[in-house]
Amino acid sequence: MMNSDFDRRDFLKVLGWGGTAVALTGCGNGMVESGKETVVSYVETNDYMVPSVSVYFNSTCAQCDAGCSITGRIREGRVLKLEGNPDSAINRGKTCGLGQAGVQNHYNPDRIRAPLLRTGNSGEAITWEKAYALIDEKLKGVSGNEVAFLTGGMSGHLKVLLGNYMDSIGSKNHFAYEAIGPAVVRAANKKSYGVEMPRFNISKARVVLSFGADFLGAWVSPVNFSQQYAQFRKGADGHKRGVLIQVESKMTITGANADRWLVVRPGTEGILALGIINALDAHGVNIPGDIAAAVKGYDKDRVSRDTGVSAEQIDKIADILKERTPSLVLAGSAAEGYAHGSQNAAAINLLNQVLGNVGKTVEAAAVVPFPQMAPATGNTAALKALNDGLSAGKYKVLFSYGSNPVFTSPAAMKFKDNMARADFKVVFAQYLDETALQADLVLPLDSALEDWGTQIPEYMAEGAQINILQPLMEKLHADTRGMGDILLALVKQRRAEEYKPFDDYYGYLRAAVLQNKAALGGAHQADNDIFWNETLSKGIIKLDGAQHASLSVKSGAAGLSLPEPSAIDAQYPLQLIPSVNASLRDGRNTNQPWLQESPDPLTTIVWDSWMEIHPKKAAELGIVEGDIVEVTSKSGSLKVQAYIFPGIHPDAISIPLGRGHEAMGRYAKGYGVNPFQILDMVYDKETGELAMHETRVKISKTGERVIVVKDEGPVGGNQEGQKIVPLMPTDKANLSKEI
Amino acid sequence: MSISTLFENYSEFRHRHPDGDVPHNPYKWAMAIDLDACSGCNACSVACYAENNLPVVGREKFAHGQVMHWMRIERYWDQDGREFPDRGARYLPMLCQQCEAAPCETVCPVGATNHTPDGLNSQIYNRCIGSRYCSSNCPYKVRYFNWWDYPSTDNVWPAEMNMQLNPDVTVRGKGVMEKCTFCIQRIRGAEIDAKTQGRLVRDGEIQTACMQACPTSAISFGNLVDPESKVHKQWRAQQVELDKHEQVKDEEPGGTDLRGYRIYEWLAPYPSIMYLERVRESEI
Repeated sequence: MMNSDFDRRDFLKVLGWGGTAVALTGCGNGMVESGKETVVSYVETNDYMVPSVSVYFNSTCAQCDAGCSITGRIREGRVLKLEGNPDSAINRGKTCGLGQAGVQNHYNPDRIRAPLLRTGNSGEAITWEKAYALIDEKLKGVSGNEVAFLTGGMSGHLKVLLGNYMDSIGSKNHFAYEAIGPAVVRAANKKSYGVEMPRFNISKARVVLSFGADFLGAWVSPVNFSQQYAQFRKGADGHKRGVLIQVESKMTITGANADRWLVVRPGTEGILALGIINALDAHGVNIPGDIAAAVKGYDKDRVSRDTGVSAEQIDKIADILKERTPSLVLAGSAAEGYAHGSQNAAAINLLNQVLGNVGKTVEAAAVVPFPQMAPATGNTAALKALNDGLSAGKYKVLFSYGSNPVFTSPAAMKFKDNMARADFKVVFAQYLDETALQADLVLPLDSALEDWGTQIPEYMAEGAQINILQPLMEKLHADTRGMGDILLALVKQRRAEEYKPFDDYYGYLRAAVLQNKAALGGAHQADNDIFWNETLSKGIIKLDGAQHASLSVKSGAAGLSLPEPSAIDAQYPLQLIPSVNASLRDGRNTNQPWLQESPDPLTTIVWDSWMEIHPKKAAELGIVEGDIVEVTSKSGSLKVQAYIFPGIHPDAISIPLGRGHEAMGRYAKGYGVNPFQILDMVYDKETGELAMHETRVKISKTGERVIVVKDEGPVGGNQEGQKIVPLMPTDKANLSKEI
Repeated sequence: MSISTLFENYSEFRHRHPDGDVPHNPYKWAMAIDLDACSGCNACSVACYAENNLPVVGREKFAHGQVMHWMRIERYWDQDGREFPDRGARYLPMLCQQCEAAPCETVCPVGATNHTPDGLNSQIYNRCIGSRYCSSNCPYKVRYFNWWDYPSTDNVWPAEMNMQLNPDVTVRGKGVMEKCTFCIQRIRGAEIDAKTQGRLVRDGEIQTACMQACPTSAISFGNLVDPESKVHKQWRAQQVELDKHEQVKDEEPGGTDLRGYRIYEWLAPYPSIMYLERVRESEI
């Protein structure tokens, strides 16, 4: 089969198809190509490029983990623009603003261009050979459990290689960390539905009741959800236009599009969910006995008192949910960010059960049948575990890839100090971000538009699919490397024999795909080259026969216990809501200037941070727009401009995440503040996830005032009586007449 | 001609583009934007930056009102004195309306902005002298002036970033006015292709950058004089007529149940973009 004699099972594991009963072709995989094309100067003609004519290649967007397929427009060897690939069930040809900015990540002037080794306070450029040798050397005399590898969410062959590398050094310490992932909701879904991430059929729902799930903004798979939302609004299958009710304490872009936006007292989302179940019971919906008993105490008067949502509104919600089925209830980041976040999410999921939505609008997703490649989703509990280990001096060597914990962890966690306790820290990064600055060795990565890879999205829209990443142009910088190539080089240090056949990650990927050709839809194609080129050309491997996970609905009423709404803390009277903007998210994309200059959809502010405060509270405290206020929590303080914003609970303030970088690059550094820094270390009681919304703060004016830089005019959002954006009530509009 | 005749037949006199008995043959490019689908996400705006070589001006110049976003999202709140905006916000993608009787065109001292036979309001950069009268006269405030020479300004297109510039679109220098072109480079490309093949541009063949990105497919674009085009059908179904500044349907007692409208229609610029009103559920 190959020039090495290790056995077939190992080989499968090497290539990522291990742990599965999938059909393999069994025939040899032939030669492995180097993947290096000859670089041809444009003075010589070639038959695949005509000057001034664009060519298009498919790949996968890596700006977030949703896994949208993209088509890059390439002219004269340069990638110019990214469009959505219409063949993907996830994004169907569409992209978000964040995705559009992928080219700015690629062409970014602040990318690191050579491996950097720390000497004192400065970095010295070294060769890759030296860097690899250094890693090899530092791992000698260190046992496997003294090595930790921190990553973001990971999937595909990169995850396989990482797993095999960790295996080769005898370490089980892979920490997958996402600062703002829906980790509590995943755990609650697992309990409620039997799967962490089911399919949400927004387009089939007639009512969507979302508790802080910003599905049009930054939640899970926003481009997919946005398209579903458009169908939902048009009213599919002869239904009337779908109704969106959004419950949250700070308006998200999804809330801004709701038919009814309900502001709740922070943390009482679960209580409202149980109150609605109680009201459904009162409206004659058949509720299972145990659940009815569990919600007995949640009558609308009490719930109204606790949450601030009027009893009349609770009745209306129960009415519309009863009348219009199926509906869909979503638990999002705003509901999960509390010490009782798991309980909130469980209570909300219970609504889907009593409304009979499970199996209709909450469906089992298709599963890629290769567990080795399945997404390893990240969470904050992983960071805490790593931090505890670092603090205890457990880890001597730390690798970090795809995350920036020095920026995204609460300062109270002291991650930066604890990181320093590891003897040798290697950071794989595109930019010298806050974490890279703490490293001993920084290894510069290729951009996602220069690299090879496979990706499996956590949220599977329809059939299962494996996304392909391929370079859309030649590398910009000679001395950057793809993460796959780096891991391959590292694993070769340990298992040279097994990985000898693969010159590079491209060769490895090609061999892997061809090895499993039949299972990847290539049974009909005898010619490996043709199949491989077809695969690259499509940019997606669709696994038509893939199984769907099965949902198992469990009655979640047992063990549900929601705390009383917390009393206002006299010293820290306001709740801090660190908000997630669809473009800037956890701050990894902040150095892309289009995103800095793209106005926040709610406030229209650009290039800076702000604190949202309700007009009533602002008047009470004498705060006007542009006042610089000091926001102080138990864990720290920051100074930020105030913006008077009606879409927030008067007992809460909100500061967006993603800005406030002290490093990373010219477009990120020095703009705004970083609210991660002042978060209190409060954790969800069941999952141990950082409770992002549990920080309480006090604010005081500093006396300074600035002009807020924003896109809206001096009259704010007032149409001044003009017919600019009129509203039509549904009892008047007749959408069925429309094209 | 008396003044009263002029007022009575205002739209006839105002509708000057293009000249001749057969206007807009074979193309009249137009849009329909469904505000009930639009979520205000800004993807269109970023896509426009990517396609049309729009400079990122930075914080300070943005503060001075020098932002260059050809496509911007306006956000409005209900003004009914309620404590919370519990009906959400209202979003409006605002871009050049490609008016048929564009107020910007008549005031240009050098004829830098004028009308094309296929119904676009075009801007000739190398004729523009920067008087900015057009911008003053634009009711939609969608014209953007190059106060600076962005290609030579620090950190606008530093090395490598400049490799992303679209070679089909001019990079504008200091002193000229610019605005949304309906992605004229894509339109011309398709028109030329069609002409070489001896046919007309098919519906759907041209997507503007904003429309192509839009995650909710809120934007449709096409040839208004092609009875088979989606845009034509949408305008027709909404009973919005291009060359009227008051629509017949708006005269109906009790108002119409059709959502189509044009912004500042009564000013009679005859905009080429029809918006569909945002809808809100009555029962919740």
